[in-house]
Amino acid sequence: MKFFVCIKMVPDVGAPFQIKDGELIMDSDRMVLNAYDASAVEEALVLTEKHGGEVEVVCIGSAKASETIRKALAMGAHKGSHIVVEGDNNFDSGSYSSILAAFFKDKSYDVVSLGKQSQDTDSGLTGSMLAEALDLPYATNAVGLEIESDNLVVKRQGDTGQEMIGLPFPCAITCSNDMNEPRIPNLKGIMASKRKPIDTIELSSLGLSEGELKASSKVTSYEHKPARKAGRKFEGEADEIAREVAQLLDTEASVI
Amino acid sequence: MSSILTYVAISEGKVKRSSLEVLSRSKQIADANGLTCTAVIIDPSASSFASTIQQYGASEIFVVEDASFDKHRNAPLTSALTKVMETSSPSVVAFASTEGTKDILGALAANQKAGVVADVSSFDFDGNKVSAKRPVMAAKMMANVEVEGSPILVSVRSGSYDLIEASSEATVSNISVSVDINTLRATLREIVSATGDTIDLNEAEAIVAAGRGVKDEEAKALISELADVLHAGIGASRALTEAGIYDPSLQIGQTGKVVSPQLYIAVGISGAIQHVAGMANSKVIVAINKDPDAPIFEVADYGIVGDLYKVLPPFIEELKNIKHN
Repeated sequence: MKFFVCIKMVPDVGAPFQIKDGELIMDSDRMVLNAYDASAVEEALVLTEKHGGEVEVVCIGSAKASETIRKALAMGAHKGSHIVVEGDNNFDSGSYSSILAAFFKDKSYDVVSLGKQSQDTDSGLTGSMLAEALDLPYATNAVGLEIESDNLVVKRQGDTGQEMIGLPFPCAITCSNDMNEPRIPNLKGIMASKRKPIDTIELSSLGLSEGELKASSKVTSYEHKPARKAGRKFEGEADEIAREVAQLLDTEASVI
Repeated sequence: MSSILTYVAISEGKVKRSSLEVLSRSKQIADANGLTCTAVIIDPSASSFASTIQQYGASEIFVVEDASFDKHRNAPLTSALTKVMETSSPSVVAFASTEGTKDILGALAANQKAGVVADVSSFDFDGNKVSAKRPVMAAKMMANVEVEGSPILVSVRSGSYDLIEASSEATVSNISVSVDINTLRATLREIVSATGDTIDLNEAEAIVAAGRGVKDEEAKALISELADVLHAGIGASRALTEAGIYDPSLQIGQTGKVVSPQLYIAVGISGAIQHVAGMANSKVIVAINKDPDAPIFEVADYGIVGDLYKVLPPFIEELKNIKHN
């Protein structure tokens, strides 16, 4: 069983940030492995530990993204591929999926997996775009995976319930971070990761140039969320304050 | 004439309110820019919903009726939408941002080589490009986004727009798509859990959400009673869905559902940023928590500091009184 997990280096959403003249300024040192992708790596490791096979990760990013690949290797992935692009390229989901589609064109695999979205943009488009480009059957928002003899059985969270979907190999899935708790690399894993191979791949060797990967969507500016009106806090006798707030919801907020 | 096509989703025999919100917005944009406002329904009995859609101003309604659309399957839905788009050549296709939409939006964009922007809280179209605003970085900030291309796909968070009735004499056009579900590579085997008769959180005008403070059957019963009084949907924090206390489909937050009802009552929820990311756009937020320093109070319009077992019974009783008078 060969799993390819697409991973992304993203800013830590918990880090402090500033918005100046519409531009986002973050501490560039606080980059992390996208949490949803970490769940995809974890699930691939669990399934290959159980059924045999190999996990390879692929990451598009600047030179610094090699740290994110090492993290996945330290978790237990066997091999990494690093598609190197400049840091400031304004790629959108379409650009990323085009690069990944070119990368996978001559690869063989059973499952391509990735997080259901990246925690910085929350767009959630790359997975199904890639599946379409590779003409793979797919499922998004997986919360559970099992391997049957010739099928990947995906439990996905839908609008009204959990759908059980059988996918023949090869297939693509996007993973929710509800499916597992990604392991934290131990010292042995970290040491081992230093000896694992990472292929460095230039866009040109995939037959692509940054120019032709122009995003159809672009962020023109960032702004703070409009602050919610300062609310009121009610403390005191439970019975009194409960009744008071109930009344205010009717008379003041008009939502009853 | 160039058009804005709205995909109107049907769920459990009803038109999704969130789709009608998007259709209302599409109609406004169409009127302001001299565009045609159209809609598409894909369901085994799609044409029976046309009269509902006609109340929101679409001038042409495409219906795709086939038994295979009884349950969500991404491949047939994508191919049906592809066919409708090829037939009607819309400039923009607008969707409510549901799990069903999230499952197909990227694939449809790739298939149609369309520009796309997902999960926006507002959008506009000037005839050439879509301008949208969307929450990013765990909803800690907003990004202004411009999208070019033709067509352009956009999905809109529920609760972003109000319903605006605009009666129309829409023509109904059938588009035939034949799907042989036996030839699909991905097979839908079963739906293992469903929320049954509970209210869909994307559609609910009021939501009562339970957090870690809701620990036992007594607290769950109080949550149900409060939801009954308000005709509210019930939601839960990740801690409670992971503990198996509530169904996973009820999870609200960055990983679960993103909701924006008129009234959101957070009971025993501390207010982790991942949860707040899913509910911060609610119109009115009430928080009930015994910890006066809980971060949920920073986003609540009305914060009740107290033990839910003591607060909820009089709160429910007073709401019943208000409802009965």
